[in-house]
Amino acid sequence: MDFKQLLKKDFIILDGAMGTMLQAAGLEAGGIPELLNITDPELIEGIHKKYIEAGSDIVYANTFGANRYKLKNHSVDEIIGAGIAIAKRACNGKALAALDIGPIGQLLEPTGTLKFEEAYDIFKEQIIAGRDADVIVFETMTDLYELKAAVLAARENSDKPILCTMTFEENQRTFTGCCISSMALTLNGLGVDAMGINCSLGPEQLAPLCDELLNWTDIPVILKPNAGLPDPATNKYDVLPGDFAGQMKTAAEHGVKIFGGCCGTTPDYIRELKKVLSETKPVKRTAQKRAAICSPSRTVVINQPRIIGERINPTGKKLFKEALRNNDMGYILNQAIEQTHAGADILDVNVGLPEIDEKDMMVRAIKELQGITDVPLQIDSTIPEVLEAALRAYNGKPIVNSVNGEEKSMETVLPLVKKYGASVVGLTLDQNGIPSKAEERFAIAQRILKRAQEYGIPKEDVYIDCLTLTASAEQEAVMETLKALKRVKDELGLKTVLGVSNISFGLPNRPTINQNFLTMALTYGLDLPIINPNADAMTGAVRAYKLLTNIDKNSAEYIAAYNDMGKPKPTVTDNSKDISLSYAIENGLKEESAKATAKMLETCDSMEVVNDTLIPALDKAGELFEKGKIFLPQLILTAGAAQAAFGVIREKMLAADSAPVSKGKVVLATVKGDIHDIGKNIVKVLLENYGYDVIDLGKDVPCETVVEAAIEHKVKLVGLSALMTTTLKSMEDTIKLLRENNVDCKVVVGGAVLTPEYAEQIGADFYAKDAKETVDIAKQIVG
Amino acid sequence: MIVLDEINKDEALRYMGHRGEVPQALKELVLKCEKQLLEVIRPAYIFKCFDIEYTDGGIRVLNTSLTFKGNDIKNHLEDCSRAVLMCATIGAEADKLIRLTEISDISAAFVMDSLASAAVEQVCSQADNIIKDTFPTEFLTWRFSPGYGDFPIEIQRDFLDVMNAQKRIGLNVGSGNILIPRKSVTAVAGLSRTPVPKKRRGCVCCNMAEVCQYRKRGDHCGF
Repeated sequence: MDFKQLLKKDFIILDGAMGTMLQAAGLEAGGIPELLNITDPELIEGIHKKYIEAGSDIVYANTFGANRYKLKNHSVDEIIGAGIAIAKRACNGKALAALDIGPIGQLLEPTGTLKFEEAYDIFKEQIIAGRDADVIVFETMTDLYELKAAVLAARENSDKPILCTMTFEENQRTFTGCCISSMALTLNGLGVDAMGINCSLGPEQLAPLCDELLNWTDIPVILKPNAGLPDPATNKYDVLPGDFAGQMKTAAEHGVKIFGGCCGTTPDYIRELKKVLSETKPVKRTAQKRAAICSPSRTVVINQPRIIGERINPTGKKLFKEALRNNDMGYILNQAIEQTHAGADILDVNVGLPEIDEKDMMVRAIKELQGITDVPLQIDSTIPEVLEAALRAYNGKPIVNSVNGEEKSMETVLPLVKKYGASVVGLTLDQNGIPSKAEERFAIAQRILKRAQEYGIPKEDVYIDCLTLTASAEQEAVMETLKALKRVKDELGLKTVLGVSNISFGLPNRPTINQNFLTMALTYGLDLPIINPNADAMTGAVRAYKLLTNIDKNSAEYIAAYNDMGKPKPTVTDNSKDISLSYAIENGLKEESAKATAKMLETCDSMEVVNDTLIPALDKAGELFEKGKIFLPQLILTAGAAQAAFGVIREKMLAADSAPVSKGKVVLATVKGDIHDIGKNIVKVLLENYGYDVIDLGKDVPCETVVEAAIEHKVKLVGLSALMTTTLKSMEDTIKLLRENNVDCKVVVGGAVLTPEYAEQIGADFYAKDAKETVDIAKQIVG
Repeated sequence: MIVLDEINKDEALRYMGHRGEVPQALKELVLKCEKQLLEVIRPAYIFKCFDIEYTDGGIRVLNTSLTFKGNDIKNHLEDCSRAVLMCATIGAEADKLIRLTEISDISAAFVMDSLASAAVEQVCSQADNIIKDTFPTEFLTWRFSPGYGDFPIEIQRDFLDVMNAQKRIGLNVGSGNILIPRKSVTAVAGLSRTPVPKKRRGCVCCNMAEVCQYRKRGDHCGF
């Protein structure tokens, strides 16, 4: 018997809780239950047998937490191997033994510190150890990213069927914010064999969540609830076996196929479940097919025009290129924040620049972006290796931009799209270039769709870009693009994408052309305009279109976006127009500070503004802070306002091709093991304000990375921060390693638990009690 | 369930190191950050009561794998026959919001971080009250957390396992024994048949006393 054969049955029955049974047998809370596979195999086998006798078709081996992190000094291979052997013995051909894998027990970055790649390795070790199991189960997952690492590890190291269940709270989100639709889209894409919901609540509370899931997937759905809710004082669960089974019947009638029990359930629950299901008729399911993509916490359905923000792309942008060369991730993240605020539904991410390692940069950008935004991403690169690395690192279901009609492109890109379960943009061009006529572009679209389907990519995941040509050069081609777009939409039933801004290249008053072309394209059926959402006219055109076509019901979105238009913005002071830069900085007024700077730059030279106004204002704030006249919050507000001013100056200087003068470089890092980095980030802003280039290595930084950066950038000063007594050791190790490598630099340390004495003891050159003092030290050392 | 309608802003300002009159810009920023934070926080708590036994190796928490080591926790639980273990958090979304804010506005992030710390304290005191109501005939000591005094922070992982905190409220521990989500608390409170003397609370038993920023400026963390 295998899982495929089991699927022919009306319903499949899993087992109930293992932990509950073990606790009843005397296991103490907090112990490692998997060790019993070695110390008391009969106990475990006995429990499996009870479940099989009660009616389980699949039992979960006692391997839930058997990973290298939780097992500490025990061998994963040994414990899992024993667990599977016990389960198989108990099954004796009458049921299937599942390799059961729960969460690792450490959160992945960016919330935690575990790297995606490390998580993959941990799961891989478990998968290999469980090679004798009949199926692989991942359960009780709350982080979609962790689950993705797990599924990839299973797919790439085994050919067993994969069953996945996640744990949701009553608000239909997991603890990390993952929603049901995002789980469904992502797991569908990764090609698992069944998915569902387990733990947290009883069958009654999970019923609406199940219905939501059934609506998003057509693969078999699993429900493995708790026996109700535990009493906080006694920890006893409140739903009895008969009621439990009764409530599960409803789920069966709605289309759930695979059933079991989680915390608090016992063989009695499974027996009742078996009885009830034997009297229940399965229903035929019809899940709606939707074009949709997602991040863990946000699903974007392409059932109306959705804006793809185009700004994360260095083409023609000096500041962006500069940021890429300097590894300045903050710049890219700010582009994301700006665009989502302006109304982007999806963000295109292109970080291609000849002189940088695009693959490395792309993976970093994806990871950082998904740490701060929940807008789904469109991965934009011409290099397949970059696409694959990004697809691996992406958390959710992204769009791949792009494939084209050339066979070579299709045979390299489409398998990646299939493997990682993404959507893909197909460009209507091939080895012969862009056809001039709509018919030919339509033919290429047809070809791309056909090939995509041959690779197993569903039709709704193929979006076609009929390509915008420049009106000034090829005026007659404009309508060909739109005609092709309409045919793709109407005849192939595919979603359409179009980069819009190209249309006006070489013409005066480009915004007018862009806006009108966008509106025309929307009426021809454009679903995914790629635009600059910060341009009001463009976002406005999409919003107006949605209102006029009755998509935006009751004009709600439109009103929400423009209701405040024309109303005066509340500001701290009434005469914001005439606020001086020094006043704005002293009072921590960010926007006013930027405005005042722009105004000053009309008449003054950049360096004049810096030396005569900005630095004196900062010095004054520093002095007041030292004297205890102002406190930390105001000092930071001042720094923030100055930062805004420097942003304006920097932009102006780069535009004029005069690079800002740097006082020298400083490396900053929050040491290995520590993730409290807000203090370090405050220091960074202050140092930057004073003209230092900060090489910010981030948090949880290994000693070696600090040493490498200090050598590579030849810095005179390294700043290290730690907030926990437990991570001071890493600080000491980092300093030691710097010294061992004879790095010619001074080290300044700071953080709540440090004292001047301790700083000296661990070999630091300076102790800084606050951000202001770090600047003083930098002045002394770097100049 | 605990719901916060408001964050204790005075407390947050104290964490920020602010004293005296609050300037207008800061006041507005605090209000703005409070609003954003209240939208994303999801307070959650769990607690469980255990019998304890004093042994030479420390205080055994019966029917668990835990033994509390160190003199401070021993003093803290003096005369108590049972201990309540608790975990509280404001959830992972708050971390995300602070992270996002750090990118574009460091001052707002700083303010938000302090507000989030104040918020988790509020969750803890509400949970305290719920615990007190659960054991109306006994007296509850104040909360003592791993990492206080000589109560080893390394116990964090086993503590969370015993409480099944990952499954029940999404609370994890990262490297360096840092709780994740960041704005979270684990603590032990003793249950005693007789009133608990107040004397145990204060700087004397705090291992931060030497480096404490509050003490340096003649202030007190409120503990």
